[in-house]
Amino acid sequence: MEFILEGLRKGLHLILSGNPEIFAITRLSLSVSLLATALAVLAGVPLGGWIAVKKFPLKKLLIALVNTGMGLPPVVAGLVVMLFLARSGPLGFLDWLYTPKGMVIAQFIIALPIITALSISAMQSVDPKFYNQVLTLGASDWQAIRVCLKEMRLTIVAAVIAGFGRLVAEVGAVMIVGGNIRHQTRMLTTATVMETQMGNFDMAIAIGLVLLAVGFIVNLALTLIQQDKVLAR
Amino acid sequence: MIKLKDLRLGFDTGFTLSVDALNIRGGEVFAIIGPNGAGKTTLLNAMAMLRRPENGSLTIMGRDALAPENRLFLRRAMSVVFSQPYLVNDTVFANVSLPLKLRGRVDRAAVDAALELFRITHLKDRNAKTLSQGESHRAALARAFVTQPRLLLLDEPFGSLDERVKESISRDLRRVMKASGAAAVLVTQDQEGALTLCDTLAVLVNGRLLQQGEPQEIFSRPASKEVADFVGVETILPGRVVANQDNLCTVAAGGKTLMAVSGCAEGDSVFFCLRPEDMSVSLNADAGGRRNNFKSRVVSVAPWGLEYKVELDCGFTAQAAVTKQLVDGLGLKPGCEVYASFKATAAHLIKRAI
Repeated sequence: MEFILEGLRKGLHLILSGNPEIFAITRLSLSVSLLATALAVLAGVPLGGWIAVKKFPLKKLLIALVNTGMGLPPVVAGLVVMLFLARSGPLGFLDWLYTPKGMVIAQFIIALPIITALSISAMQSVDPKFYNQVLTLGASDWQAIRVCLKEMRLTIVAAVIAGFGRLVAEVGAVMIVGGNIRHQTRMLTTATVMETQMGNFDMAIAIGLVLLAVGFIVNLALTLIQQDKVLAR
Repeated sequence: MIKLKDLRLGFDTGFTLSVDALNIRGGEVFAIIGPNGAGKTTLLNAMAMLRRPENGSLTIMGRDALAPENRLFLRRAMSVVFSQPYLVNDTVFANVSLPLKLRGRVDRAAVDAALELFRITHLKDRNAKTLSQGESHRAALARAFVTQPRLLLLDEPFGSLDERVKESISRDLRRVMKASGAAAVLVTQDQEGALTLCDTLAVLVNGRLLQQGEPQEIFSRPASKEVADFVGVETILPGRVVANQDNLCTVAAGGKTLMAVSGCAEGDSVFFCLRPEDMSVSLNADAGGRRNNFKSRVVSVAPWGLEYKVELDCGFTAQAAVTKQLVDGLGLKPGCEVYASFKATAAHLIKRAI
């Protein structure tokens, strides 16, 4: 019991003393996960709206695949991205393996199905008559999707929260693609794993606390944005 | 403005909308009335290019409306108002300016003018979700007119509103429509509402257009029993023309001999039709020159809008619309004896298949 309290004390000290390594790791973690989330939103929200609205063969199969993708194990995403980025892989010429860019790609692949699936269901919960009304106001298909998804902004922000939450806590993909290289690709999660394995519980606890705080602050910001849109009842 | 030919549109339920020809001219207000489930909304949705017919042709403003490449252009030349206003979760101003925004235009003056037309300028900064029903409908109408459309499609535009609000909004709509000169298609169950707005009326029953023409013509001279039923002809008796002298027909119907002005020939099987407003009720036998006069018994007296409806047993059952003054003056109540009379010109004969 005592070593836990001791770890907690040292961990808090590390944070409060402004340990530069912890700050650098936090910055990288945030940049990678926020960027991957942003890219997944840019791609996944319109994609989800489009899938929901369009009629095409095997649509249900595609939706089932996207839904399955929500549970995509990060290690599998990481493995696939690593194989593609490896020197002898098809994208090896990019030289992105063991770089933050590679980690963004891996995390993007994890977040995309989450954002897409939730956008599909947001769009499908729009009253078809509302959608028709928007079309008759002179909207093109894409404009109509945009107007409807804007109506569903609460759900879309919830999708962003879900996507970011998954990414910031994810360890498998960034470990494989990034390699947990100090000062280059070490993230809050990979650092926690490493420090724990090395028995540096104070460092592990400190990083773990930062991880929790980061998750909380970003989600708080998103929630404030989301709830701002809710009408007072 | 709209030309429609051989349109067929089927549903999984087996219902088929089937319209052989429909022609709506520029500047004309064309109302389509019919009972629930007649296919009115489906027809309107086809015109709005929201439902694609399996068959037929649809030309709007000279362009083929079934060609996908014309769809956006045509939608931007028209406005559609549904029975629900379907406003976005934003201010009234943002809602009314949305059609302009979708066309890549910003025109605050046009938005202000549209708000003014429907007298909701004071609401422009309010969130649309906080409006009353009547205000929401006004916002939806302002939104429809902000683009100065050449064609308006109205689907039960005030479906769910209470009478007083409906009246005030439809008065404004009538004024704005007259001023704009746009052609309009109005689809409704509300016959009175249709009458106050339209130049031409069409009756749609069970997916088929049964009659179109001037409203007065359809109300007094329905072409078929279905139309007669729907437009409020309450006395419909199967009968037979026994003589025709200079278009004054003698008809054997309901066990009586009735007179009607019609071109039907002797021997024709017909429906003898009479609107309740055309039936007079009095206590004395003098029919004042009306050719049809029957001693009758009052079966029931019931309020009917601002008037009363009296069910009469004249040997056949007939309905009469009577003012409250007359009900009081004559002391009409079930069981009392009266004389029911109507002019031969008020009656209408519909030929029927035997």
